[in-house]
Amino acid sequence: MIDSMYGLGAIAAMGVVTFALRATPFVASQWLKKHPMVQRLGQFLPLAIMTLLLIHSALGSIKQNPAGPWAELVAVALVGVLQWRSKNALLSILIGTGIYVFLRNWQG
Amino acid sequence: MSAPLPNLVHEPQKPTVSALALTLPVAMGYIPLGTVFGFLFVQAGGAWWLAVAASIFVYAGAAQYMMIPMLAAGMSVGSIVLATAIVNMRHVFYGLSLLNKMPQNPFLKWYLIFGLTDETYSLVTTMPQDCEPKKMVWVALINQGWWVLGTLMGALIGAQASSQLVGLDFALVALFCVLAVEQWRSRKSSAPLWVALASYAMAYPLLPSHAMVISIGLSVAAAVFLQRKDSTQEGVAP
Repeated sequence: MIDSMYGLGAIAAMGVVTFALRATPFVASQWLKKHPMVQRLGQFLPLAIMTLLLIHSALGSIKQNPAGPWAELVAVALVGVLQWRSKNALLSILIGTGIYVFLRNWQG
Repeated sequence: MSAPLPNLVHEPQKPTVSALALTLPVAMGYIPLGTVFGFLFVQAGGAWWLAVAASIFVYAGAAQYMMIPMLAAGMSVGSIVLATAIVNMRHVFYGLSLLNKMPQNPFLKWYLIFGLTDETYSLVTTMPQDCEPKKMVWVALINQGWWVLGTLMGALIGAQASSQLVGLDFALVALFCVLAVEQWRSRKSSAPLWVALASYAMAYPLLPSHAMVISIGLSVAAAVFLQRKDSTQEGVAP
């Protein structure tokens, strides 16, 4: 169970952080323009963070699967190829998840 | 704030209607993805209204997906905040292209800033320069309406169903894979990918349970180091 007070606290904190980030240019556009380092970090970090989130979450799925990493590797590769070719996020996510659920539930 | 749809019925002005039409492609993504979020949140042990509260007050797709395993693991609010800040870092730059395009009314302006998700940003920045500022706010509000609606549906389904299927939470892995592919497509350099892989390979053997936070720290440090080096090599600022 997720404790509701704990969940509310986390939601409030996440809401404040997200809003603060979105509001930053409107209160600090001069400062941002003066610091190219901030802009370059903004260009560098997203690909790094998404790579980390992908590895970390895929590893989490692998650890929960006693049958080994093959289902995860196949499904991640499938989602990657589908997204690269189709640029349709919903399609890639639904097909990849569907195949993964199938592999986990009906292939031992 | 009233719900968007009843207001549309009472106020059938053209700009409002076309704002609704503008958001339809977003609805195609927000409703199913919101449903998956609500479903997984409830299946992870959260209350249905907590999932809806997250979609109303946080309103950030990837960060909301990320919070599910973190909340289920009982991680500290501090580390959840840090992870949110990093995942949403890109939003710092979105407003830069909208500084001269904002509604006058402060309430409308701050709501639009609050609702500046990837999709709303894409729609609002592609609207013509001379468009009614109110229309941008409608687009933002209706988009959030789709997201909240999807969340509510998913949370209610999740509260009913006790699923026998394992592996549905792979949707999160798939989402991160999709986002990584899109970041890769628009990359200026491949370095962030290699830095991330190396950071994780270092962090995981050290402390598997904190590998994410450690490797993010290592990536930030590497980014600062690499760019210091770049700018000294370039000599002058860009």
